[in-house]
Amino acid sequence: MSLEQYKGDMEMCCRCSTCKFIPMQKIQGSDFSYVCPSIAKYNFHAYSAGGRMNIGAAALKNGMNYTPKLLDVVYNCQMCGACGVSCNYAMDMEVLEPISEFRMKCIEDGKTNPALDKVIAGLKKTGSMVPVKGKRGAWATGLKLKDATKVKVDVLYHVGCLTSYDPEMQKLAKSIARILQKAGVNFGILGDAEMCCGGRAYQMGYKDAFLAQAKKTMAQIKKAGVKTLVTGCADGYQTFKVLYDRFNLKGDLEVLHITEYIDRLIKEGKLKPKKKVEMNVTYHDPCRLGRLGEPWIHWEGKKIPGDRFVFDPPKEYRRGTKGIYQPPRDVIKSITGVKLTEMTRIMEYSWCCGAGGGVNESNPDFAVWTAQKRIDEAVSTGAEALVSACPWCEKTLNKAIKASGSSLKVYDVVELVERAI
Amino acid sequence: MPLTKEQYKAFEDVVGAENITDDKAIMPAYYNTDFAAIILPKDTAEVQACIKLCNKFKRQFRPICTGWSGMFPKDLILLDLRRLNKIIEINEKNMYAVVEPYVISAELQAELMKRGFNFCIKGAGTNCSAMLRGHGHLDQTTSGDDRNHLAIEWVTPEGEIVKSGALGSADEWFCGDGPGPSIRSILTSAVPPGVTPGVFTKAAVKLYHWPGPAAYPIQGHSPKYTLKEIPANMMARYYSFPSVEKMWNAEIKLGENEICYELMGFNAAMVACNITTCNEEEEEVFAKMSKEVQGPGFFVIIAGNSREDFEFKKKVLEQIVKDNDGISLKTVEDPEIEGILLCQCTRISASIRETFRAGGAFNSIPIMGQRDLTIKWAIGAGKAKEPLIEKGLIVDDGGAFFGWGVEQGHLGKTEIFCKFDPQNPVAKKAVETWQKEQTERAFKESYFASTMGPQDEIGPALCNYHLWWQKIVKAIDPNGVSPEGGALV
Repeated sequence: MSLEQYKGDMEMCCRCSTCKFIPMQKIQGSDFSYVCPSIAKYNFHAYSAGGRMNIGAAALKNGMNYTPKLLDVVYNCQMCGACGVSCNYAMDMEVLEPISEFRMKCIEDGKTNPALDKVIAGLKKTGSMVPVKGKRGAWATGLKLKDATKVKVDVLYHVGCLTSYDPEMQKLAKSIARILQKAGVNFGILGDAEMCCGGRAYQMGYKDAFLAQAKKTMAQIKKAGVKTLVTGCADGYQTFKVLYDRFNLKGDLEVLHITEYIDRLIKEGKLKPKKKVEMNVTYHDPCRLGRLGEPWIHWEGKKIPGDRFVFDPPKEYRRGTKGIYQPPRDVIKSITGVKLTEMTRIMEYSWCCGAGGGVNESNPDFAVWTAQKRIDEAVSTGAEALVSACPWCEKTLNKAIKASGSSLKVYDVVELVERAI
Repeated sequence: MPLTKEQYKAFEDVVGAENITDDKAIMPAYYNTDFAAIILPKDTAEVQACIKLCNKFKRQFRPICTGWSGMFPKDLILLDLRRLNKIIEINEKNMYAVVEPYVISAELQAELMKRGFNFCIKGAGTNCSAMLRGHGHLDQTTSGDDRNHLAIEWVTPEGEIVKSGALGSADEWFCGDGPGPSIRSILTSAVPPGVTPGVFTKAAVKLYHWPGPAAYPIQGHSPKYTLKEIPANMMARYYSFPSVEKMWNAEIKLGENEICYELMGFNAAMVACNITTCNEEEEEVFAKMSKEVQGPGFFVIIAGNSREDFEFKKKVLEQIVKDNDGISLKTVEDPEIEGILLCQCTRISASIRETFRAGGAFNSIPIMGQRDLTIKWAIGAGKAKEPLIEKGLIVDDGGAFFGWGVEQGHLGKTEIFCKFDPQNPVAKKAVETWQKEQTERAFKESYFASTMGPQDEIGPALCNYHLWWQKIVKAIDPNGVSPEGGALV
């Protein structure tokens, strides 16, 4: 794809500003009505999806006009896709795709962000999106897990870079392993041999780096001969399920997020959360498990000449409708004693945690600012804990809590499940 | 001419470095114009300081809010009012809400519904400024236009702060006409240019009773949100009639009986837009509905304040429809569709699905006046659309128009538009020609369309108001810094 292919979509933008807000009928007042962190923080219309689309359309007409401000706009976006959901309630047009292509064009032209360049250089060198400290599979020491590079297993648990290497996040990998063991699942890990899925490189705009990594990783998974891959990371989930499918790498691999898998195990009676966990919680939908986690729709077609923006064959848009929303909620609700109160911005119009699109690396203050807004929203529900289903979300939300001194706790769904079984 | 370094610094000192830019690369985000600068003031004081600098440097400015498409001259300073986004007060006793320009209607409405109130949602949609002046779906009960603007805080083109109406004398917002200075004719002119020079930084909008729920019980995922249940005291229906005369008679009778919360003269094409989630589905549903309707029609919402009130309204509605040979559209009787329309029409004001989704653009001619007369004009404008439809230049909506009664129908608005692909120059030209010709026809036939202009053409027909207006503008904007098209976009 290229920016040129989204010319029609970008020209469709009517500058209505709905991309800045959650869908109108979901707005509950003046609090928590915004959906796009970028425009909410930086205010100039250029930081909204509408502004980005208009800049993209102008660039196709007049050429790219690189300035520091333009690059500031380009890289201060979490690529969370909330804009597209709000727009696509009423409009038939791609939103996140041209924004993503615009960033890729910048990178192609060498207009990169130094912090992101560093991350990608690290990926190429170490096969990880986060700094490598020690061995990738060290977290599993003593857990007696099967090595999927040596033993045939039914399910491969792909741990992901952050959970593998970050000492604060390794607890999630351990929880998941213990839950799967408890349920009697024949699963394994790739341990030290596991490689990055590459998804965050794609979010950052480095498509070539992503594809190179993805091919290596998928070859390794194919070699392991597994039919089902489970991941506890929302970024990893979207990468394996959506991006690998998009670029015809996935084949018939079944990709499940751990919350989907636990939900299945509970409903099949293989996992029984019997212990009471007294806690008032609210749930944060990770962008890449929710709206961006809906399956890829392969489509090629041409605009039908005439008055309408319609195509032959008809184009079905990904509007965030089919993301993973219910399984994590069902899992939380299956735990006795846990009371779930929803925030205003949930499911397909959930507010991002702030970590995506490379913002975590290129502008950590903005990532934490975004997370802080989510913390405020969670606190407004009266919950004592914010539960999510992605290590990137948990890490960023915890940074905001640390910065603000909030007493709110952050947990992953798997941590609650482990307490309950 | 770009700002000089000194000029830029002066504005920067007012709003801070992060709230001003003259970077050409991001200006297309706003409009295809080289603005001298884009500035984000945060409050009235900063707006005032910026305007004073504009006078000092003889630089023209224009404000925008959520800002749909517009035409702006080069080298203008754009005051983006995005940071003025607070609901200042909701006064339940005196039934007004004070808002800044970037509070959108959906935000204010949600706060009001919790308190049993609503306000006029403009046809532009709840995604637009709550301060926006205009008409919309709820006009039947919430009136429209300048009747809903109470006291206003206005920074004049010279940078003075003027407080109109009650605000000017009692420091309260409850009335636009006094006891302080009314100046209503300056602040909300209905004829071109249609907006006031300077910047409105706060306005009180009039509130109305809301008989509906504090929040709709919405379920499902975008783009198909439905209601878990239709509120027990609400009902939505679409009725078609064998003739325009019968439809109009029913509309008048319903107004006389004051039973409709909303009466919207939707055509079948607009109903199809609102209940569907994509263009292809819309075409199919419109084709199906075109066969279901017997002629022109309208969409109605009734809402009771008690069970008895609801039953009474329902009975009267059914009788009036029957008396005029109206037929209820079965599609809308389906509770799922009924719920979608209830929510679309009261919480979103429909607009985007029915205007931009099809081709990306529309040109419209809104016309105010007595509905039976304006409908006659609109039928002609609809006929004039037919050749464009036949040539495939505009979306086929059956040549239909739409409209609604204001304040239970003693006044009304009729509107007609053409939806087209703005990237098709032939279509664009054809639609512009249609708009020009039909506006001219309206003028000749003594109707008032807001697309009329320029002032020196229509002024002589309207007591030479334009000469007075020019004098007023000269008095309030001696440096000519606030060109037409100002205060609320």
